[in-house]
Amino acid sequence: MPEEAGGGYEHQLQRLEFGDDITRREAAKRLQAGILFLFTVRIGEGQETTNPMPLLSSRLHVGEDGAITVLTGKIECGQGIRTTLTQAAAEELHIAPARVRLIIGDTALVPDDGGTWGSLTTPQTVPVIRQACASLREYLCRYAAQQWKMDAGEIHVSNGRIRHTDGRTLSYRNLIDNKAFGAASIAGARLMPASEWAVCGTPMPAVHGPAIVRGALKYSSDLQFDGMLHGYVIRPPNYRCRLLSYDASKAARIPGVKIVRQDDFLGVVAPNEQAAAAAAHTIEAHWSNEQLGNPDTLFSDLKRNSKPPDAKAGGRYPALIEAGSVDQGISRAAHRHKASYQIWYIAHVPLEARAAIAEWRGDWLTVHCGTQAPFPVRDEIAKAFQLPPEHVRVVVSDTGSGYGGKHNSECELEAARLARNAGKPVRLAWSREDEFERSYCRPAALMEVESGFDSEGKVHAWDFHNYNGGAASLTPPYRIGNVRAAYHASISPLRQGSYRSLAAVGNTFARESHMDEIAAELKLDPLEFRLRNIEERRLRTVLERAAERFGWGRVRSGNGVGYGLACNLEKGGHLALLTELEMDGAQVRLRRMVAAFDAGAILNPDILSNQVEGAIVQGIGGALFEQLKFDSNRITNGRLSEYRVPRFTDTPEIDVILVDRRDMPSAGAGESPITATAPSIASAIYAASGKRIRQLPMLPAFEN
Amino acid sequence: MPDLKLTVNGIEATVLADPSTSLLSVLRKHFHLTGAKYACGEGQCGACTVMVGGEAVRSCVFPIHNVGQKYVETIEGLANSAHLHPIQQAFLDASAFQCGFCTPGMIMASVALLDRNPAPSVEEIRAGLAGNVCRCGTYSRIVKAVQSAAKAGRNA
Repeated sequence: MPEEAGGGYEHQLQRLEFGDDITRREAAKRLQAGILFLFTVRIGEGQETTNPMPLLSSRLHVGEDGAITVLTGKIECGQGIRTTLTQAAAEELHIAPARVRLIIGDTALVPDDGGTWGSLTTPQTVPVIRQACASLREYLCRYAAQQWKMDAGEIHVSNGRIRHTDGRTLSYRNLIDNKAFGAASIAGARLMPASEWAVCGTPMPAVHGPAIVRGALKYSSDLQFDGMLHGYVIRPPNYRCRLLSYDASKAARIPGVKIVRQDDFLGVVAPNEQAAAAAAHTIEAHWSNEQLGNPDTLFSDLKRNSKPPDAKAGGRYPALIEAGSVDQGISRAAHRHKASYQIWYIAHVPLEARAAIAEWRGDWLTVHCGTQAPFPVRDEIAKAFQLPPEHVRVVVSDTGSGYGGKHNSECELEAARLARNAGKPVRLAWSREDEFERSYCRPAALMEVESGFDSEGKVHAWDFHNYNGGAASLTPPYRIGNVRAAYHASISPLRQGSYRSLAAVGNTFARESHMDEIAAELKLDPLEFRLRNIEERRLRTVLERAAERFGWGRVRSGNGVGYGLACNLEKGGHLALLTELEMDGAQVRLRRMVAAFDAGAILNPDILSNQVEGAIVQGIGGALFEQLKFDSNRITNGRLSEYRVPRFTDTPEIDVILVDRRDMPSAGAGESPITATAPSIASAIYAASGKRIRQLPMLPAFEN
Repeated sequence: MPDLKLTVNGIEATVLADPSTSLLSVLRKHFHLTGAKYACGEGQCGACTVMVGGEAVRSCVFPIHNVGQKYVETIEGLANSAHLHPIQQAFLDASAFQCGFCTPGMIMASVALLDRNPAPSVEEIRAGLAGNVCRCGTYSRIVKAVQSAAKAGRNA
């Protein structure tokens, strides 16, 4: 966001008092004595938003010990928000980061910041928290001016304190003394420009790092409550089933065991996990079975069942992008190329399987869990039980990550159902098999691409169709006069949903592979060919920087060794990724990857490079071997012994170059660095073997 | 169900459990030691790694009757209250984690690796830890952390 965005806006600052219902009273115990402020901030023009949110709020609590607690609806899943939000708050409050605390993902306390998705924390939540903190700092100055009869402009906060020339001091905790305070308007609180950052922009270590390395960080699956009961869900034998009938007479006779059935949901509650599982195994359930379709015809089925692109779908990911005339552009081009690309379903495989503890008190429900989306999950649960949303409190612990896979109330709703009449908290933990079979997966997709280009290597027409995958990264980052890029929604045999960077993995794989093919057809160097078609300065820069570090052009593919590259521009992240690999028959060994990444002003370079490295590694799985297999009835490889994920031995040496653009807004970067891995590897495989692989995962193509 | 005596992080306790119960389950439920994690349930990912008699084991598939008289050591027993174990410190210094869910198992596996081989090469670290999964993909950082812990150990 523009550095001075705070300047033109009026922020409402008010004292926040909580309602006295049971969940809020309990939640408020998490805050020590002090004062809670609510800021209402109107978001600036030009902000990237998925849902229009004209008013954003932020909550800050000033404790009697002088610590400031930032309350946020975003959650920590390894992307580092505990640390970057702490930095952002400390920067604007002018206090040491150690004086900042965070309460995350407790719907009874925190503002609704939307789900933790779409790389939106950095471009959306960070600015709001910065504005709120700058406003609080401004308010402290004003308070001091009033107390000391001075001009507020002459007063400065340093290390959380204001010092008067006569030696008196005031700090944030003195705001608590202002009992009369109700509300105020703060206009024009100055945000710290990136050029003056003292805390942001530094590689501050993870604030919860010590707890992580001691094994002391409590994830949702680590929570244990006194007297809690345990749930067990009877799973159907196949993927898509309806519960026809069941006989639970044996289980019902076991003391302490309760049977819970609602529609197709059947589970038991017992005093401990073993008893719950044992009781469940005595239940005979009969299920109908709905076929999943034929995996051998998946891609033709996805195309056949697709709908024309929804031209009205705007927002962040429009389903149809058109410029010039594609048909004319292709028919007039000197050269044409046409190819199609396929990507299979993959699973998120968050290392922590979902777990939830639900507790009812009358019509009030609290669910402890590890979702990425506390408020949407709260709303889903409330809807399922026909309750007002404020009757449901969702409290999120740090989660053993999600990668876009933990958006829905699955385990959470099941726990709530099991607990409904249990009279005690009920814990439900999913197994690894549940994770594979019951959660949604990354969509499979078919991409059909046709292009028209001239002999000099300029692309003039681009006709791109994605079936079932999605619309992210549909727009090519190249200067092409005639473009039609479309996403055709379809009917998927498997439940599908968000995945790190959404469809950008598939769309970038298809687009960059296609570009690589054009370069090969014209016998042009793939880097030179890209640069002839890219105008965007920042994208050129990352390509040039990565190529220089890699030694592109000085090394030649051959003898089973291949060099490849790909680039992408997604969600404000400019990415180039170069790969060196060697091939031996069906074996692909990645030797080295060099990435250059520009996501604007860097909030924390260590966290950012960690995200880039990790995303590249996760991308290796989907590129080479990850594949969620199914037959006409069920998932057939839903275990970690059968579903291969990247390991140490799959990981190359990774070199990350970060381009810090302090003059540009900070983009969220947890997702976009995953997008170039597959096409960069495909490009290097072609260079090494002459074999063009147009499907993900790629390794199965070598097995036949 | 018989009583079984277990010594975990130097503390002896009697556990009433079926001898086939996994060590992971007993550590988490009876000892309330939740550092070792359930992640795959079939010994494929190493998130549940603890030491039994000085050897790294996959506690999710390790029945308690196999513990015998051996001492069990978990991530919680690695540091003393003031100081981290050098490998914990090395993970912290290298920011060798993201979500951190694999970290306790990764650290225990690294302790076992350096016990066997105090000066491993990069390839030996990769091969030695290949049974541990970091889904966030922080492998390069973990390799660096183990290398620096090994170096610190040699200099100690």
